[in-house]
Amino acid sequence: MSLLSVRNLRVTFDTEAGLVEAVRGVSFDLGRERLGIVGESGSGKTMTGRAVLRLIRPPGKITADSMVFDGQDLMAASERDMRALRGPRIAMVMQDPKYSLNPVMKVGAQLMEGLRQRDKVSAQIAYDKAIEALEAVQIRDPERVMDAYPHELSGGMGQRVMIAMMLIPNPDLLIADEPTSALDVTVQAEVLAILDGLVRNRGMGLIFISHDLRLVARFCDRVLVMYKGKVVEELAAKDLLAAKHPYTQGLLNCLPRIGGPRQPLPGLDRNADWAV
Amino acid sequence: MALIEIDNLSVTFLSKGHKVHAVKGVSLAVEARESFGLVGESGSGKSTILRAICGLAPVSGGSIRIGGQVLNSKAGKSFAARVQMVFQDPYASLHPRHTIDRTLSEPLAIHGLGDTDARVMKALDDVGLPRSFRFRFPHQLSGGQRQRVAIARALMLEPEILLLDEPTSALDASVQAETLNLLNRLRAERGLTFLMVSHDLAVIDHMCDRILVMQHGQAVEELTRDALATAQMKTDYARSLFAASADRMLAG
Repeated sequence: MSLLSVRNLRVTFDTEAGLVEAVRGVSFDLGRERLGIVGESGSGKTMTGRAVLRLIRPPGKITADSMVFDGQDLMAASERDMRALRGPRIAMVMQDPKYSLNPVMKVGAQLMEGLRQRDKVSAQIAYDKAIEALEAVQIRDPERVMDAYPHELSGGMGQRVMIAMMLIPNPDLLIADEPTSALDVTVQAEVLAILDGLVRNRGMGLIFISHDLRLVARFCDRVLVMYKGKVVEELAAKDLLAAKHPYTQGLLNCLPRIGGPRQPLPGLDRNADWAV
Repeated sequence: MALIEIDNLSVTFLSKGHKVHAVKGVSLAVEARESFGLVGESGSGKSTILRAICGLAPVSGGSIRIGGQVLNSKAGKSFAARVQMVFQDPYASLHPRHTIDRTLSEPLAIHGLGDTDARVMKALDDVGLPRSFRFRFPHQLSGGQRQRVAIARALMLEPEILLLDEPTSALDASVQAETLNLLNRLRAERGLTFLMVSHDLAVIDHMCDRILVMQHGQAVEELTRDALATAQMKTDYARSLFAASADRMLAG
């Protein structure tokens, strides 16, 4: 049985300018595997991730024929049930550590907050667990990081702190929204290895949202390509570089390559018919 | 004589009582109309070199010369007219409460250049933004559009040198392609000299003639574009960086 099953998911915003459909009928199943969602900004990939956690604020509305996580119907769940799911069962790593960590709270306090409030553990146990989580994401001097404010950390460190925070309650499903786009290639490889280890060792499901096609091709098992709120192509990650759909090909072609020609990079052809 | 000459540059910050050596004795020379790239992991000091040129980082040793003139600690108007910088994050580098018009016309006002109206319109045309964007605020633009505004702002004073600090790393692949094409076109049209920082070897390869690989604040190896494409690097670090980017090769 799949961990998460989504059928005909829609996210709409009722704005002054009329109804905006950010996600238009997305369906997918996720097992204990790595599913990539790629697309440009505005293609609805982040909204899809947030909709699974029902984290869309009014005037945004979520509708779906069904959205079932581990036997539990997410569409029918009460707000109280959702709160119990968010964190311990389904966690999300947000895109930008600069905006997603509390700027006026030390990293340690943020890491321990959930443990103290939700799990009601003692301060000492919370501290030890937080240190352990930071070590799990390859932070070398966890004591210093615990005592630092978010602005004192580099982008890569902040990103790893967010991953550590999400992993403390040991979730079954992790939604990672561009977890590595702010990182350089070497740190990126480390963060991906951490996520990879978690999928393998803990049997976690992972939704990996990214605009970097080459990264997704290398790292994920399966890929959904989104365009204007729709899935235009679903394929095995190893086949991504040989994608058939012209939109996916366009996304690949606009990337510069080492040793490539110096002529202008091809622009992306955006055909409205693909999203009908 | 090279246009940008950096000799044995060192930059030292004081952080919580500790000295942090961000750049340790780096030398490089960029010819006029050349495009030179700096690559390396975060914290390797590549952005700090750009910031030191602009006087945004404390130089503790060595010298920086632009067109043969040693830079003073107080970079004045004449420096701004020759050298401009484009920053990484277009969400952070534009004033959120200034309209695009005000952002673009401010350098003109400071330098006492007239004809503001025509220059602002031309700047928008040059970077491919509609003129109707002139009185918008940054939050009404997308990331790629904001980076175009940042490039337009840097070009308002018609400088010779553009310092580019990861100009596309905050952008999507398709928008990155458009922005890189724009930069290359402007460089060809205006004979600009680029000093560009990126951690993406493919971007650096596409944009630059020569690159300098940096690690821990030190220069590791200088490579020409051909040497990069054919993997003729001599040091282990440059090779490992190259290997981490292997999926960005032409054949891949």
